[in-house]
Formats: sequence, structure tokens, C-alpha cells
Amino acid sequence: MSSYLYDARRLAAPPTVKRDTLRIIGTDVTLLEEVRQLAMQDLQFNIEYEPLDFLTCQRSAAMNPGQYDIYEQCFHNLDIVWYWGALQPIDTQRIAAWDKIGDLAKIGGVSKYMSQGYGDAPIKKLYVQPDGVIGQQSMRHISMLPTVHNVDSFGFDRRIFGDEGAEGSSWAWLLDKRAKGRIALVDEPAIGLFDVALAAEASGDLQFADIGNMTVDEIDSLMALLETLRQQGFFCGSWLCASDAEALLHADKVSAQSMWAPSYGNLGPMQDIFVESVPREGYRAWHGGTSLARHLTGTKLGMAYEYLNWWLSGKAGAVMARQGYYMTVQDQVRQYLSADEWGYWYDGQKARTDLTGTNGKTVVRKGQSRAGGSYLERVSRIAVWNTVMDEYNYAARAWKRFISSLNEGQS
Amino acid sequence: MTNVKVLRGQEPLYEVIYQILKRNILSDELPEGLVLIEGPIAKMMLTSRAPVQAALRKLNDEGLIHRFRGRGYLVGDAANDPEPVRRNIEEFQLDISDQSKSALELRGTWMRVYDQVEDDVAACQVFGEFRLIETELADFLGVSRTVARDVLSRLNERGLIRKGASSHWLAGPLTARILREKYELRAIMEPAALKLAADHIDPAEITVIRNDISQGHTRESSIYEDAFQQHCLDRAPNDALVEMIRNNRLLLSSVNKALVRLGLPGDVVAVDQYRVLFDLIGSRQITAACEYLKEHLRLLADKNLARLKIVALVTEAEAIPRYLTPL
Repeated sequence: MSSYLYDARRLAAPPTVKRDTLRIIGTDVTLLEEVRQLAMQDLQFNIEYEPLDFLTCQRSAAMNPGQYDIYEQCFHNLDIVWYWGALQPIDTQRIAAWDKIGDLAKIGGVSKYMSQGYGDAPIKKLYVQPDGVIGQQSMRHISMLPTVHNVDSFGFDRRIFGDEGAEGSSWAWLLDKRAKGRIALVDEPAIGLFDVALAAEASGDLQFADIGNMTVDEIDSLMALLETLRQQGFFCGSWLCASDAEALLHADKVSAQSMWAPSYGNLGPMQDIFVESVPREGYRAWHGGTSLARHLTGTKLGMAYEYLNWWLSGKAGAVMARQGYYMTVQDQVRQYLSADEWGYWYDGQKARTDLTGTNGKTVVRKGQSRAGGSYLERVSRIAVWNTVMDEYNYAARAWKRFISSLNEGQS
Repeated sequence: MTNVKVLRGQEPLYEVIYQILKRNILSDELPEGLVLIEGPIAKMMLTSRAPVQAALRKLNDEGLIHRFRGRGYLVGDAANDPEPVRRNIEEFQLDISDQSKSALELRGTWMRVYDQVEDDVAACQVFGEFRLIETELADFLGVSRTVARDVLSRLNERGLIRKGASSHWLAGPLTARILREKYELRAIMEPAALKLAADHIDPAEITVIRNDISQGHTRESSIYEDAFQQHCLDRAPNDALVEMIRNNRLLLSSVNKALVRLGLPGDVVAVDQYRVLFDLIGSRQITAACEYLKEHLRLLADKNLARLKIVALVTEAEAIPRYLTPL
């Protein structure tokens, strides 16, 4: 129906203005069919989504900039893509809601008094400096428009660990011998590596001078610890996408594992047993955004700016909220959520009714409240951000070797 | 490549170099008082320094050249006490006999082989740690084990490979720390060399490069980096420093070449920075040029650290020749 209307409009439009397709690459964190349909309805041009896995997306964005118009991923992926010359600066004067974007992205913490957390806080990569590098000094042009974000922890089995005390759980549980043989990790070197690093530091096994920028020696120590635990049979496997993590749970294989927000709503009967931790050391955070391909000019660039502005208009944010993700311009999102939804997802209140997720199924039952509380409570406790460290190349290779021996051991 | 063996069975390399220098001293092409230094001669003859040293010793023994208070030798008899003439050996039109020429050309072939190996060995290091096996290298190049051994010891001399605990040759891994350290060294050595070189830089050469940049002939920043080395840093009257700078840059420029092969587009900002740098040097604002160079190197270090990260997403097999075994 919407495409029929679109065709009708096109005939009336001046023939020189060709509104063709906007091609977007990203991951399944944001490239949801529901978002695409909503955007096409509002923007009246065609949009193509190409969802890729995390590493492929990063690589394609850097190396094939001619193949897409818009790149959606995270600030920690930016170093690679930006310095490969694949993107162009975004003019904040063309972003209508720029002033409404919250401080977490713009000043690094929810207020200037809060810690930024270790690693790739978005502000460190946000502004395009006069010499073309990306940095935190406020500028008119930015590298990526900050949009969806969240703080992550891990999930644990209450039957084994009991309830979190007043002081919360600890990342140490992710490598705890009570869960030996039933621990799974997310296979992504800019994410999973930090889950285990937080765990190793919390358990007292290791110490990092800067957990967001480890030295080669620190990486070696961490990998040695993981290898020892692997040989002792601590791990039952690794996972690449959220549905794999859920499958491990449904197969009753894990007692503690890395886990992401949307999965907690898909656990069915396990929902009361396997819960999201609120680690006392703080969260591992991530911040997504949207960038412009270098080659965009003229009409196509105009379409891209329309799409960027649309992302902040609230509809996309409402879809994101229903899988547990936050948006930078929150007043707009609130318009598209019910009071119950807003209360649960953003305000940390008890759900007064069952809430449905993006798939239309119930993901939150009446009476539940979100682990960690409200938006402000949760994002005030960021320990480390997903990060592509200086030694990423070294760390990612060591991580890959660890994961492949882990998976060989399983088969 | 069998020719190499034939050549090696013939005249030793130092003898070839000795003959060339002797011929040109006797013909006065190389004037009395000219300072002869190993490095530039080795570079011109496409050899390592050892045979040049041997050739110079022999000429010294025969009284054709003599030692003096500076580095190197002076052409002519010590009794005449000539004033030192400091000019680059490459500026002279050396008369080289056909026989010496063919010996050097073969030597050149060997060097071309070496250059390729050097590129590969430097470039592989971004992918981790590798072991080099002498027999496989010889096989790959189609040369004898003796030649392969020479190649390996030259790589070792230049700091590209090292002996491991079990005396295997090892290369890499190039970590962010090594990269940062190399750029820190550059920021220490290169401004110092530029200051020393100030009075020896030819303004006409700088003008040519500046025009080249403003006409936008190439957006490839490595061309200007090389020009800066050749026309500015190399002019520093301190050979040891110049050699340290060159060796320190070796791995960095190979990494850059490897990244360009992977598709890294030209660095427009870096080219602009070279224009400013050459402008400053051309107008003899050397102190400002040194400061600008430091800032340029700091930025370059940050950018290259970020660029190196992409290599984590590239599989080794795409780039590595088979004589390098991943560890």
C-alpha cells in the first residue's frame, strides 16, 4: 500500500528529483524489518537493509564504502571505518534534534560528575577535529549520530547463585566454579573479551592498569587464564547471536553466560530462574549510531540526512525500547510508548500489565521490574565500554584461537 | 637464479667495488679530498656495508685514500693534506667497466629478490608471529641455502627478524606498542636530524617538491614521506643518525604498503601536512618545521594505530607467502 502511494507521488514530482533507494548496512541490533517499514512510510523513499554479523559489518563498512549509503553500528567500531576513509562528517546543523541528544553521548557520562567508564566511550570518537581525526573536543561536525545504546551484564541461574544481595552480584560469577562446565561466552573480541576481563578482575585473578586499553602482557595473562579454565572444563561453548544464547539456555546447558537485553524476554519458563545480573562492579556499555558513506552527495545525501533525522523522531526508539535498548532523544520516544511501557523500560517501575516485544509476543509479565532500575540508575554505573583497543589486532587473534579451541573441545 | 651461484664463484663483491672506486680515483672522476663513507657507497652499489668496508681498507692499504679526523676516508695521499670535500657519491658519473657492471647487475637481481622478501617479512608482522625456515625460503626464491642465509642475516641486521629461544628465525608480531614506540623514536630523531640538516638542504629541490604537491600530481602521502627523507633528513651530516632513522622507518613503511595493498585510500590530510612542512623548510623556518613535524608524527601515529586495527578482520592467508609459517 505504501509503495503504491509512493509511486503515485513520484509521478507528480518534478522529473529531475529522483528519489531512489537508500542502502543501509548494519547489524540485527538496529536493522529490524519493523523499523524499515516505519521509515519507508514516513520518508516516502525505498530503503534496503543489509544486516551483517558484527565483524563482517565493520570490515565491509571500511573496505567497500561504495556498496552502502548509511552505516549503522557502534562507536567502538568507528576507529576502523573512519580511518579507512569510508565515511564523511555529519553536519550537526542538519540534525534537527541535535540539541536534545543526552549527555551520555555528548559529554561522556550522564552528568559531568559521572565517570565516563573505561574504553571507547562514544564521546572519545564523536567529534571530527580540524585535522580530520575523531576526538572529544566539541565540534560542529560529528562522525556518527548517536542513537541506540544500552548497558549489559550477564545472566545467571538463581538456583545456583541464589538471589543477588543488597550489594548486587559480581562479574566474578561469570568465571565461578559453582557454574563450572555450564558457562558460555559471547564470541566477539570487542565484547566477550571485556566480559571475561571484568570477571577476572572481580575474582581477583588479574588486574588491569586500564581495562579499556590492555597491554600485550595483560592480554597474554587473560588468555592464559581463559585457557587454564578451558582445560579444566569451565566452558560449555560460545555464541555469536542472541538466539544462540537463548538456545543454550533452553537446552539446559548454561548456569552463567554473557547475555543481551532482548534475550531476557525470550526465556519462557526459564524467565524466573535465569536472570539479568546487576554487577556491583558496574556494566559493560555500548553505544550505537548512524554514519554517512563518503560518496554521498546531492539528493542522496539529502535522503540520508532525512533518514538520520527520522531515527531521532521517536518511532524507531519505541521499537528499540521494546527490546530493552535506549535512545538518545527520549522525549520523542515517550510519545510512541504506552505509559506502562515507558514506566517499565525507562523508569524502572513494576510493569502494571504484560508488555509485548518487537515480535508481538509477551516479553515482560505484569509485576516484573527491570534489573538495575531506571535509565539514569543503569547508565550511571558504566564500568567499561565495548572497545576496539589499541592492541585489538593482537587481542582479536588471541581471542579467535581461544574460541576455536573452545569449540573444538565441544565437538 | 643459477647465475647467482656462478657470480659468487667468481670475483668477491668487495673486489668489484674496489675495482670501480680505484678506476675512478685514478681517472680523477672522484676528486682529491672527497669524503668516502660506507653507507652511500653501499647504497649505490646495492650491497651491504661489509664489502664496502673491505674495499675501502684495500684502497687505504694501497695509499689511494687515507683516514682523516672525520668519519670515512679522503681520496688522495695523506701527505697532500687535502680539504675534505663533502658531496654525495651519487652525484658523480662513475665510469664502470662492463665486467663490473654485469657483476653489479646480478647483484641488483639479488637485491630485488631481497626487497620483495623484506616487504613480505615486514608486512606479515601485522598478522602475528611467524617462523622463517631457511630451506623453504631458498626453495621459494629458487636460490641456494647460502643466499637464503645471506637474506636472513640482512633481515636480522635491519631488525625485521630475530632468533627465538630454539634458534629459529622469528618475525613479529607487530603490536600497537611497537608501532607507538617507533613513532616516538621518529618524533625524537627526525626533528633532530632536520635541525642538523638545515644548512645542507637544497632549496631548489624543496621548490620542486612543493610545486609537485600544489599541482596535485599524486595524493599518495608516502611519496612525500620518502621525498622528505631523501631531500631533508638524509642531508643531516650524521650518518649513524640517518641510518637509525631509515631502519626505524622500515617496518612502518612496509606496514603502510601492506595496508595500501588491502585498499587503504590515500591520506589527503597527510599530503596537506607535507605541503606545510615543505613550505616551512623552503622558507628556512626550521624550528617551526621541527615542531610541525612532531605534531604531524603524533597524528600519524594515532591514525596508523587505528588503521592497524582493521587487520584483525583480514585473514592471514590472503597475504602471506608460504616460507612464513604462522605460530
